[in-house]
Amino acid sequence: MASAPPLYRIEGLTKIYGEGDTAIAALRGVNLDVPKSAMVVLLGPSGSGKSTFLNIVGGLDQATSGHVHFEDVELTNLDDNGLTEYRRHHVGFVFQFYNLVASLTARENVALITEIADEPMEPAEALALVGLESRLDHFPTQLSGGEQQRVAIARAIAKRPKVLLCDEPTGALDSQTGVRVLEALDQVNRELGTTTLLITHNAVIAEMADHVLRFADGQLADSRPNPKRRRPGDMKW
Amino acid sequence: MSLSPLDRKVLRDLWRMRSQAFAIALVIAAGVGMVVMSLGMMRSLDATRDAYYDRYRFADIFAPAKRARKSLLAEMGDIPGVSQIEGRITAGATLDVAGISEPITTRIHSIPASGEPRINALVLRSGRWPDPNRPEEVLASEKFATAARISLGDSVDALLYGKRQQLRVVGTALSPEYVYAIGPGQLFPDNRRFGVLWMGEEHLAAALDLTDSFNEALIRLDRAAVPDDVIAKLDNMLARYGGVSAYPRAEQISDRFVTNELAQLRTMTGILPPIFLGVAAFLINMVLSRLIDAEHDVIGLLMAFGYRGKAIMLHYAKIAVALSIPGLALGIALGSWMGRGLAGMYQEFFVFPFLTYRAGADIYALASLATLFVVLFGVFQSVRRVRRMTPVEAMRPPLPPNYAGGVAKLISRLRWLDEPTRIILRGILRRPFRSALGSLGVAAALGLYITSAGSSDNVAQMIDILFDQANRADVMVTFAEPRDERALFALARAPGVWRVEPMRAVGAKLSGARKSKSDGLTGATAGSDLNRLVGIDGAIIEPPARGVLVSYGLANELDLSAGDPIDVQITEGRRGRFELPVAGVIKSAVGSPAYVDMAMIARRMNEAPLASGAYLGVDPARIDDLFRYLKATPIIAGVFLRSASRTGLEETIGETMGIVTLFNTGFSALIVFGVIYNNARISLAERARDLASLRVLGYRRSEVSYILLGELAILTLAGLPFGIIFGYYLSQWLSASLGGDLFIIPFGLSASTVAWAVLIVLLAALLTALFVRRRLDSLDLVAVLKTWD
Ligand SMILES: Nc1ncnc2c1ncn2[C@@H]1O[C@H](COP(=O)(O)OP(=O)(O)O)[C@@H](O)[C@H]1O
Ligand SMILES: [Mg+2]
Repeated sequence: MASAPPLYRIEGLTKIYGEGDTAIAALRGVNLDVPKSAMVVLLGPSGSGKSTFLNIVGGLDQATSGHVHFEDVELTNLDDNGLTEYRRHHVGFVFQFYNLVASLTARENVALITEIADEPMEPAEALALVGLESRLDHFPTQLSGGEQQRVAIARAIAKRPKVLLCDEPTGALDSQTGVRVLEALDQVNRELGTTTLLITHNAVIAEMADHVLRFADGQLADSRPNPKRRRPGDMKW
Repeated sequence: MSLSPLDRKVLRDLWRMRSQAFAIALVIAAGVGMVVMSLGMMRSLDATRDAYYDRYRFADIFAPAKRARKSLLAEMGDIPGVSQIEGRITAGATLDVAGISEPITTRIHSIPASGEPRINALVLRSGRWPDPNRPEEVLASEKFATAARISLGDSVDALLYGKRQQLRVVGTALSPEYVYAIGPGQLFPDNRRFGVLWMGEEHLAAALDLTDSFNEALIRLDRAAVPDDVIAKLDNMLARYGGVSAYPRAEQISDRFVTNELAQLRTMTGILPPIFLGVAAFLINMVLSRLIDAEHDVIGLLMAFGYRGKAIMLHYAKIAVALSIPGLALGIALGSWMGRGLAGMYQEFFVFPFLTYRAGADIYALASLATLFVVLFGVFQSVRRVRRMTPVEAMRPPLPPNYAGGVAKLISRLRWLDEPTRIILRGILRRPFRSALGSLGVAAALGLYITSAGSSDNVAQMIDILFDQANRADVMVTFAEPRDERALFALARAPGVWRVEPMRAVGAKLSGARKSKSDGLTGATAGSDLNRLVGIDGAIIEPPARGVLVSYGLANELDLSAGDPIDVQITEGRRGRFELPVAGVIKSAVGSPAYVDMAMIARRMNEAPLASGAYLGVDPARIDDLFRYLKATPIIAGVFLRSASRTGLEETIGETMGIVTLFNTGFSALIVFGVIYNNARISLAERARDLASLRVLGYRRSEVSYILLGELAILTLAGLPFGIIFGYYLSQWLSASLGGDLFIIPFGLSASTVAWAVLIVLLAALLTALFVRRRLDSLDLVAVLKTWD
């Protein structure tokens, strides 16, 4: 990749769930550099270890062995408090399950994060970015599954994180809404230079990436740059 | 939008949980209310007594004599440590009051010519002080005047020292020495048949032939004085004048009862309320832990977004505190109100001229802090448990249960079980510890209920022992002075009397190795029928051939056990001094602390067997004739009726205890409802998703209800036996702990109380079931499909 120092330098990342006979190796020695401000798309069959990888990079889970360097920090050396500060200041998440707080409105779910961020957007602004400006005061149960996911995306981008980690963010969305969400992610990546790692099943989406990673069986099977990065609006699926 | 989103979540969560919050508030209110009520009542009674004694200068030492010159008082006042001394005349008399057929036992005290008594000062409640120039004018104790329907200006006939006198009541009064006013040998006040009169010293002295003399000195001590030294000196001085051993305030009968009752109350408040608060706190802790466990995904999310541990802890602490505050406030308000009410009610029982209510910020703070500590500790534990997971683990739905265990296999093998029942059993076994805690909560609540409601049984048992087994004489009479058998023969010929048994109380000072007490000895005869010594367990105890049977309380006080020698110093008659062995230590429901065989003690005292009174079996049809006879018989100093004492006891103790029991029972019923309701609500919250999924799959409402209510029923039923066992032992322990120096509370828990308690639990479960059932009918099926993929 580029010659500038990478945002992440990942070496021999291994994750084994369980012990003994029932142990499952979810990651088996992943080596990777993620350049700053890159848009990275992760592809791969279900169970290939994508989510596990993203969770460890996001400081949500502990690796079994290997190293994750984030700028000057080695994440794998951080304790619980260190990881908390890392997530708090640098990472935005969009989860596979929307994980909204049921007793908070859309606006409040976003405010939950802007509250503790350094230079956040207004929650309304973030929600407008995902096309939910008219749904600010609705509770999660009053929103469709797709709308809930868009609230989750607004929540992730609202704090202008250094890195945005999205685990299948468009899985539950129709293509029109999906494009809007991806446009929002693309815009944040271009304008704010937010490094974005995006897991998807949809190979077409890889066209919007600077870099495409393909996981298979807990290993990085393929890692190649995408020379012709496209705007999500120009993609078809 | 000034509130942070987490604080909004606090408010919304509280609103969502409002009905559960209400149940939690009830449980906390019960625990806190019980503590505030009991301690408040306790302190108020203590403070009231102290203030009364202090303001009305209750004597520190009482020094009775037969007849001593007044000039001796100055000499006695010079004893180091004595700050104030006053001589007075005290006498027993019987009254004949219009409208009451039986003679009324009274004590008469003199009022000094100088005006009002300076020691044991009187509180004038109505009317005026007697005119020193009118010998017939007297003050009467207020409760007696009311109970005997004596109005100001009414005349009563007194049989005083064998002479009939007409007295006129011109005022009513209270005295610190009659806070608990009972006749000689009695245990419970009977205000209609025992009264106190105060009359001008000159006239009382003339009637008793004690002019310029006194037969009782009242002494107030300096703060630094040593009472035993002063008593020893007083005894020395008064020995020549028929002094029968001075005694300290602690041995004065009214104070003794008051102290004893307060000690019992203190024990009770030391045992039950903390257990209440403990159980309430335990239940709240359990409820909160489960609530927080159910929020594990939110905690995981907050962790994922970089919320610090402290902020997460604070969020749940706020919810917990907000859930506790209504309960605390309600408990404090309710407890204070009831505490004051109860303290006031004790005025039925203890006569104080005023009530100093004390509850105090410290009690409120103590109860609140104890509650909040347990609550916050529960929050801390539960949040930490979730925080020990990684955010990913915390956000995931809980791991599917491990059904590999042996019991689970057994459930799978039981073919005849239908699927819903399997779900119930697996649900319970999946979290055996939590299920056990749920049952334990029911057990604790039931146990408290049984204990609270069981106090009435204990009182009923006590009344049974006292009046059906121990004291079976219809009438007890006391003599002005001990008499020989001829007095008994005379009584046997009195109208309506079909049986006479002697009563003997010997004035004596009993000493163990270190301590002594002027408690006297009670003589008993083997084979008595009208008055028997009955153990706390209901067994009849015969007097010992040798030695003294010592009551449990006295044995503790004088540090005596079977075989130890007691130094007996007789303070009447020929005043012998000898040693007797402790024949045994007995637990009797009530009664004088030391029993001896009547014939044995007479031999040791070198006198013919004497009686201080008699127990009479009387033909009820002729009881009025007997009363007429007794009124005319000068040797009779007091007349006591079993039926009246029984009614008095039932009305006073029964009522007071009844109210306390009612309050305690109410508080424990609150806990019962709170526990069961909370159990059900949390199960509902934890299971709502699964149950809705079953509904989606085509299960009927009734089948889904069956799953949840079946679990509730099993956990409740499983708690019942443990609750009964807990209640049984707690109530036994409580009654054993209440044993005082004057009486011991027997243990009389009845099957019907237990049955009622179980019924209350079942009722609570039924009401909860109806409520939960309604909730289940409105499960949101779509929400399940939407938020979970
Ligand atoms: N908590 C866990 N315990 C055990 N195995 C797990 C756990 N989480 C994931 N796995 C396993 O790790 C492998 C990788 O899972 P994941 O990273 O979720 O795959 P992907 O996101 O690519 O579908 C899978 O085989 C999965 O079953
Ligand atoms: Mg995945």
